Amino acid sequence: MGDHDFEGFDRCAKCGICLAQCPVYKESLLEKASPRGKIQLAKFYREGRGTLSEGYRGIYGQCLLCGACATVCPTGMKAHEIVLKMREEIVGVRGLDDRGSRLVTSILRSHNISQEDNQERGEWREELKTLPGHRYEKDRAEVAYFVGCVASFFPMVQKIPRNMSRILDQAGVDFALLGGLEWCCGFPLLAAGAPEKVPEMSRHNLEVVRRLGAEKVLFSCPSCYRTWKERYDTPIVLQHTADYIHELIQNERLRLKPLAPLRVAYHDSCDLGRQGGVYDTPRKIIQSIPGVTLVELEHNRAGSLCCGGGGNLETTAPELAGKLAKAKIEEIQQSGADLVVTACQQCVRTIASSARRQRLDLKVMDISELVCMAMGPD
Amino acid sequence: MLPMKIQDELRTLVGEDGFFTEPEDLASYSYDGFVREFMPDAVILPRSTQDVSRIIKVADREGIKIVARGAGTNLSGNSVARQGGMIMSFTRMNRIVEIDIANRCAVVQPGVVNADLQKQVMKKGFFYPPDPASMAVCTLGGNVALNAGGPRAVKYGVTRDYVLGLEVVLADGEIIRTGGKTIKNVSGYDLTRLMVGSEGTLGIVTEITLRLIPLPKARKTLLAVFSSVEEVAETVSAIVGAGIVPTTLELLDKVIIDLIRDVGGASFPPNAAGVLLIEVDGDEDAVEKESRKVADFCRDRGAVQVDVAKTQEEADRLWQARRSVGGALYKVSPSVVVEDAVVPVSKLPKIIHTIGVLSRKYNLKVGVNAHAGDGNLHPDIMTDVRNREEMERVEKFIREMYEEVIALGGTLSGEHGIGIGKEKYMSLEFSRRSLDLMRGIKRVFDPKNILNPGSFL
Repeated sequence: MGDHDFEGFDRCAKCGICLAQCPVYKESLLEKASPRGKIQLAKFYREGRGTLSEGYRGIYGQCLLCGACATVCPTGMKAHEIVLKMREEIVGVRGLDDRGSRLVTSILRSHNISQEDNQERGEWREELKTLPGHRYEKDRAEVAYFVGCVASFFPMVQKIPRNMSRILDQAGVDFALLGGLEWCCGFPLLAAGAPEKVPEMSRHNLEVVRRLGAEKVLFSCPSCYRTWKERYDTPIVLQHTADYIHELIQNERLRLKPLAPLRVAYHDSCDLGRQGGVYDTPRKIIQSIPGVTLVELEHNRAGSLCCGGGGNLETTAPELAGKLAKAKIEEIQQSGADLVVTACQQCVRTIASSARRQRLDLKVMDISELVCMAMGPD
Repeated sequence: MLPMKIQDELRTLVGEDGFFTEPEDLASYSYDGFVREFMPDAVILPRSTQDVSRIIKVADREGIKIVARGAGTNLSGNSVARQGGMIMSFTRMNRIVEIDIANRCAVVQPGVVNADLQKQVMKKGFFYPPDPASMAVCTLGGNVALNAGGPRAVKYGVTRDYVLGLEVVLADGEIIRTGGKTIKNVSGYDLTRLMVGSEGTLGIVTEITLRLIPLPKARKTLLAVFSSVEEVAETVSAIVGAGIVPTTLELLDKVIIDLIRDVGGASFPPNAAGVLLIEVDGDEDAVEKESRKVADFCRDRGAVQVDVAKTQEEADRLWQARRSVGGALYKVSPSVVVEDAVVPVSKLPKIIHTIGVLSRKYNLKVGVNAHAGDGNLHPDIMTDVRNREEMERVEKFIREMYEEVIALGGTLSGEHGIGIGKEKYMSLEFSRRSLDLMRGIKRVFDPKNILNPGSFL
């Protein structure tokens, strides 16, 4: 199986503790959907006991890559990493399926996941109340803000970069966008089983940031952040905006005003929490706003339930992803919070879309929006 | 492979999404928590008692072997198709039918996860005590089939002590009920208790009535470190002798302590040779008094360190030592064979000593963690199942250990079951006549031998 070390399979004790954590398994209640099942089937394949049928593609397609299973594994197995390797193997042996092929072709051609002209990445700026002459595209800047495809192209979450621009301006940060030169980080390629295309993306993005002379790259997208951290070999400081905003508040570069009493639940996104290890700063930001009370969801921090938006599941198994989003929303409603905040555009989009489909009056926003509310009127 | 005509018939009974014969589906039901694996011919997921009955009627007619399976967490190979046939997975029969407060019981389908029931009854101020280590995922049907226990068994007993009644589908598809919702019931032979722990060999349980007890109001956790395992045993005897029945009395031996210290998980003094993790529960006053008394017993008998948790966080920290055992074992060895023996409580030091002697004799690394309060010990043999020569030594070690266990008045299994792992040792514990009686019972219930065949009989 390529260059990968698959020795780790034998470390799976088959104890099944991971089944209790896996949102995908809990829906179908079929062993093949569980982390243990996916590890054991990969082992079968490696040992030459199974051929890679289309059935395998279906099985490995049904994973959120949320990593919840790994948090309880007594032997330290990371099933989500095995899933990525198996997706790659399936693509290697059987090729991409139509959907995967469209996605990969689109990213390689237009450099984003939306099949749009990449020059339109910065369209969200048009709705800013004040837009400086340089439109945040500069020759040199201390900080580069990597917006990511979803927040660039999906209207529902375009307010994230708008709010971030306002926050960074307010704090006097010398920052720049990469505009049409920002390419997809490569995460969707990894998830689709085509990791060999990622270096093309990373080389380009790193070169653009280097030309800018930036000392730091900021990400409001936890998946871009994770991909850069894991796959981009660079000495440049990489930081999620939750950590950065918290720093700005601590250094008193950002002052937050009281809000009318508000109970705010925080939802830990998989890539920022379990994968990025960022749990505390979003909570500290919420708690630093006078009038706001932080509410914990039943499953929180490393035990957080995925919103259903992870691992390309929305495209491979939309019905399942919808059920998981519904479960997330039920948990939010049970918390009694007035509003749920997260630090991930994908979670905002998934939760808001599901609430809209269910005709529920559920308020969900990115942490940057809550911070802007506490900065007062623009 | 089952004939296509029968496959079609079974598929019609449960629908497309309840019957599987694709290789990858079969492979994913070829294993459980035990070492050995067997490929089934089909996998079927019933949704109701009627489904189960109809499926078994087909199996009876065609002679198809049936192995019932919950979450597949058992450590005795009881949910794999040793002789082929069909895996019947109960994960989709997972409804809590009712929580009957007036009669202090719960009625559940077999696929309900143990921890889910615990959570629901706790909300109503009640308690279902059996707590196998896999409780977050294992099913109550599996718990009944294997008569599962757990750390709390020392005070509260095992699954059998809570099963009041069952609905069972027999090997010809007929549905019977045993017991009911009453605690007292001495009418006829006790079929309920016979079914519990019968490892899926006598019938298929489709509904379970479980006794509930009031939820204890308070709980306290202590951790005591000793410099010799004899001191640990004396302390256990003293606690039990003083009329205090702790909820848990967990023992870790020196091999395990050193291992956890080496690979991380918890820290212990350098001379630690035995650790007791003790929990008491009950009314607040009693818990306060008992925990002080237990701490004194430990100190009086030479404990070099006694920690009493003041908060839930501190209690969680003390439990961390116990919880880190599994991970620590796998950090140092590719495979771990977990055994499950029971001796009378007073014989614990003797058997731990024997295990030390045997592990040196066969040059194996073996740690012991034990539910010391009820004499149930889990020797963890750190090995590599791919190493045939070493596995032969492991086999010899296990046989000699069980010979000693039986000689001390113990038994082959406390809570994991016999299954396909320990059937070869049955003659150590049972006379030929006893085994014949068991086989006779099996024949009465399952004359065609289609229910979990090849298991312990």
